[in-house]
Amino acid sequence: MGGLFSKKKPVSRVTEQDKAVLKLKQTRDKLKQYQKKIMVNQEKERTLAKQCLDQGRKDKALRLLKKKKFQDSLLEKTDVQLDNLEKMVQDIEFAQVEIQVVEGLKGGNEALDALHQIMSLDDVEKIMGDTEDAIAYQREIDDLLAGGVGVEQPDDDELLAELGDLLGAEVEEQLPDVPVSDMDLPEAPTHELEKTKTRQEQRTMVAS
Amino acid sequence: MGADYEWPWQYEFPPFFTIQPIPKTKEQQLISWRNLICDYHKSNRKWEVDTAGVVFQNKKIGRQLSPAAIRVVLQSLCDEGQGVMNGERCFVLWNSVAQWASLIHNWAVDRGLTNTVLTLFEIHGGDDTEGEPFHTMDIWLLHHVISYLEKEGKAELMLGDSDDFSDAGVKFF
Repeated sequence: MGGLFSKKKPVSRVTEQDKAVLKLKQTRDKLKQYQKKIMVNQEKERTLAKQCLDQGRKDKALRLLKKKKFQDSLLEKTDVQLDNLEKMVQDIEFAQVEIQVVEGLKGGNEALDALHQIMSLDDVEKIMGDTEDAIAYQREIDDLLAGGVGVEQPDDDELLAELGDLLGAEVEEQLPDVPVSDMDLPEAPTHELEKTKTRQEQRTMVAS
Repeated sequence: MGADYEWPWQYEFPPFFTIQPIPKTKEQQLISWRNLICDYHKSNRKWEVDTAGVVFQNKKIGRQLSPAAIRVVLQSLCDEGQGVMNGERCFVLWNSVAQWASLIHNWAVDRGLTNTVLTLFEIHGGDDTEGEPFHTMDIWLLHHVISYLEKEGKAELMLGDSDDFSDAGVKFF
């Protein structure tokens, strides 16, 4: 690392994996250049073949087209190779990301451990106990202060009764009105009534 | 593309091709030369100064800048940060090195390419930089700009075996 004032280059942030990726990408660049070369070549030969056809040299044109076909297969092969390289690069990069994830988790874990050491279970238990004591103490003080002024505490029964009254009043208010209908109700039979009356009379007579 | 470039009036002005003896006039003349070189190379997307090129000789008026005068002009170009010498070769910086550096760095950051290895080739010649102002940039100049980023701690160069940086890589931060 060197001292604060040294002009030494800082520690390289290039890893071995980076070098490997660079090698792969260099190869990719070379393949791409190779493809470009072939494509330029093909274009040239195509125009040449056309010229040959115009001049009536069918043989040569055919040969040129054959060559072009062969180069097509080369292009296809290099495409596959490019895919492979690209995949490899991505695999390496993803593995590097995974390492970072694991390192991140490790750091988090260590921090959590350190925090747990600061905050042991016994300590928490003790603190909770202390807090409970303090709350109980506070309640006692509250009670003392509340009782000290001498105001009579209302009776629970009294309160409940008042609550009942209130509720009753509310229920009454909520009851629906009795419907008043103009319908002609049939006259209630009168003899039946008399009968029951007599029965009642009989009953009273029996009772006496 | 070359047709797009419109030569400044000085280019048709014979005394322009002789370094002026009066300091004040010379200063003005060099400013014009610097602007001409930057504009010409920018609109033609040429990175390297061709000392035998059309810039320094106007056949129409039969004038040309002498090799010594060219050296004076290029020296002035480099002194003002509008050019940089690589041995005998002179590269034009129509954007300053710092501007190029931030352009390239922003491009890498915008694409999430920090902490990944890129080849210099894919920056100046890859399909991904098509249309970027630094596409086709001379690879030596690109290396020069990235060295600037390296000094700022925003990149690290990975040099290969070849001297022309064609196999060099870079990691942006």
